[in-house]
Amino acid sequence: MAAQIAAVTIFLVMFLLIIMEKFERHIITLGCAALTLILVFGVCMHSTSAVTETLNLAGIFTKNFWIVSGEASESTGGINWATIIFVAGMMIMVEGMAAAGFFRWLCMSIAKAVKYQVIPIFITFMIMSAVLAMFIDSITVILFLAAVTLELSQLLEFDPVPMVLAEIFCANLGGSATMCGDPPNIIVGTSLQLTFADFITNTGVLAGISLILVVIYYYFCFRKELSATGQHTTVKEYPDPKSAIKDKKSFVVSTVIFLAAVVLLVTHAQTGLTVATIGLGIAVVTLLTSKNKMDVIKGVDYKTLLFFIGLFVVVGGLEQTHILELIAGVIEKISGGNLYIMVAIIIWISAIASAFVDNIPFAATMVPVIQSLAALNGIDISTLAWGLSMGTDIGGSATPIGASANVVGMSVVAKEGHIIGWGRYCKSAVPATIIVMVVATVGIWLRYC
Amino acid sequence: MGEKKQLIISLGREYGSGGHVIAEALAKRFEIPFYDYHLIGEIAAGKKVDVKTLERFDELPKIPFFSRTVNGFSNSPQENLANMQFDYLRKKAASGESFVIVGRCSEDILKEYEGLISIFVLGDMEEKIKRIMDREDVDRLKAEESIAYHDRKRKTYHNHFCRGKWGDSRNYDLSINSSKLGIDKTIDMLEDYIRRRMEE
Repeated sequence: MAAQIAAVTIFLVMFLLIIMEKFERHIITLGCAALTLILVFGVCMHSTSAVTETLNLAGIFTKNFWIVSGEASESTGGINWATIIFVAGMMIMVEGMAAAGFFRWLCMSIAKAVKYQVIPIFITFMIMSAVLAMFIDSITVILFLAAVTLELSQLLEFDPVPMVLAEIFCANLGGSATMCGDPPNIIVGTSLQLTFADFITNTGVLAGISLILVVIYYYFCFRKELSATGQHTTVKEYPDPKSAIKDKKSFVVSTVIFLAAVVLLVTHAQTGLTVATIGLGIAVVTLLTSKNKMDVIKGVDYKTLLFFIGLFVVVGGLEQTHILELIAGVIEKISGGNLYIMVAIIIWISAIASAFVDNIPFAATMVPVIQSLAALNGIDISTLAWGLSMGTDIGGSATPIGASANVVGMSVVAKEGHIIGWGRYCKSAVPATIIVMVVATVGIWLRYC
Repeated sequence: MGEKKQLIISLGREYGSGGHVIAEALAKRFEIPFYDYHLIGEIAAGKKVDVKTLERFDELPKIPFFSRTVNGFSNSPQENLANMQFDYLRKKAASGESFVIVGRCSEDILKEYEGLISIFVLGDMEEKIKRIMDREDVDRLKAEESIAYHDRKRKTYHNHFCRGKWGDSRNYDLSINSSKLGIDKTIDMLEDYIRRRMEE
């Protein structure tokens, strides 16, 4: 009992401190992780096995961590090192791509292909945002897309805010389509041994249908604002996409590495390579082929990696003290064992929670909950996993603070004087979120229930 | 003829202390530009955006629970506007321009500049109430409420963005109570102080 109280208290304090932003979030999770190890596992439980299971270091030295052979088993909880290594690898790859000018070149090439017309740019940028976010973290996607959108808005004299708002939403939506698109999906996928193909054929289909509806929705939402501007601009000198390429050789190499990463991720169920192996591989290749290795390494957001590590330990505290099983029991009681209600609860609670709190801790906490729910009711775990992924990935789109891409996008445009308040953001994002949540709920009901 | 020395007068003030009038008068006496809330207008014009969308977030602290920071990026309109103003002031200062700036954490964000003279103007409560009653044509109670509201707002804004505390005399070169000498004599005294500082 004392261990449960301590674990829950540490978890709630961690959440509160993350929201208050008095300290950097990696400091908070690492501090709370230390408290979990000392107070919960040490003082209350006197359990060294809880410590070793949560730190989960032994798993890294097993063959299955790097190459899956035979039947895959679900992970044992604790620190999800596969997620950490994969995220670190992707960060290094993206740093290399950004340094070579890949993203700016891509944006400018698309703008040129649609002859610098505002509405076609609006539609293609939404689709590009979703497609890029399937493989690259949404923060990077929005960072570059919003910067280019701002540049084009000055050139073509249109308000960049509607376009950036739509891009942010589509980046979050694209992230939900794949295992590597959004951190909650990486956590869900690696914890439950799901593959890239599993995601693309399940959440990917839901995201694809949603993207069509969302593009139509945003078109009708913003067409007047975007059509009213940029009509009377005189012909100006448009930037040459090639000017974005800082170094031709690095550009080619980084593009090849990116394509190789995509192929490896798509085929990882066939090759047996785990996401940890792919992450490590692309990191090593990127570093070996980079001219400025130190700059690439310095660009890695190590604070996010530390944040993940601390977070997994704190959630491990809840797992070891069986708190998450209690939560699963409550959901089971409310739903009465009815799968329709259970799926709806998972999707909508995840969405509402993710709209206000960081979806990464939420997803990490909910994975053991859906594992318990599936075991208690004899349900296919993947059905609940798709609900959790869609809920956490898309729910964050509803508010300015729900997802990292929202914060970054709003901040980039704000630096140029386009300040977006909660009202303006939510006016377009909340209905779009509801559209996708309805698609996800109905889609999962029809296909799996 | 030698290059003219840069002079940046940063003036923090209590609501109703007459700090704004004093800052404006000093700008006239030293023949240098005066920046207050109109700074937003300049920023908006420079960035070709509607000033009205910016004004409502001026000199306000960010709202906890409605704001989030990711890798140094913030969604808070208040924080983004504040940073925009700080950057604007830093650019002006870096260009060598002399000016008077009211509030906006200027005594903190521009403290690296040799030409900075930071002043905080306070006042006796009775004098401040009288000034607000005259200026805003309100009764005593409303004036008291207005003073408390604006000072609380300024304090929260300042203390959120700066290391030092708002109104703490250790953060300013000079703190002065404008009620003791009156507005005109306070201006004279401050002019004299600034000229002496410039001679050094």
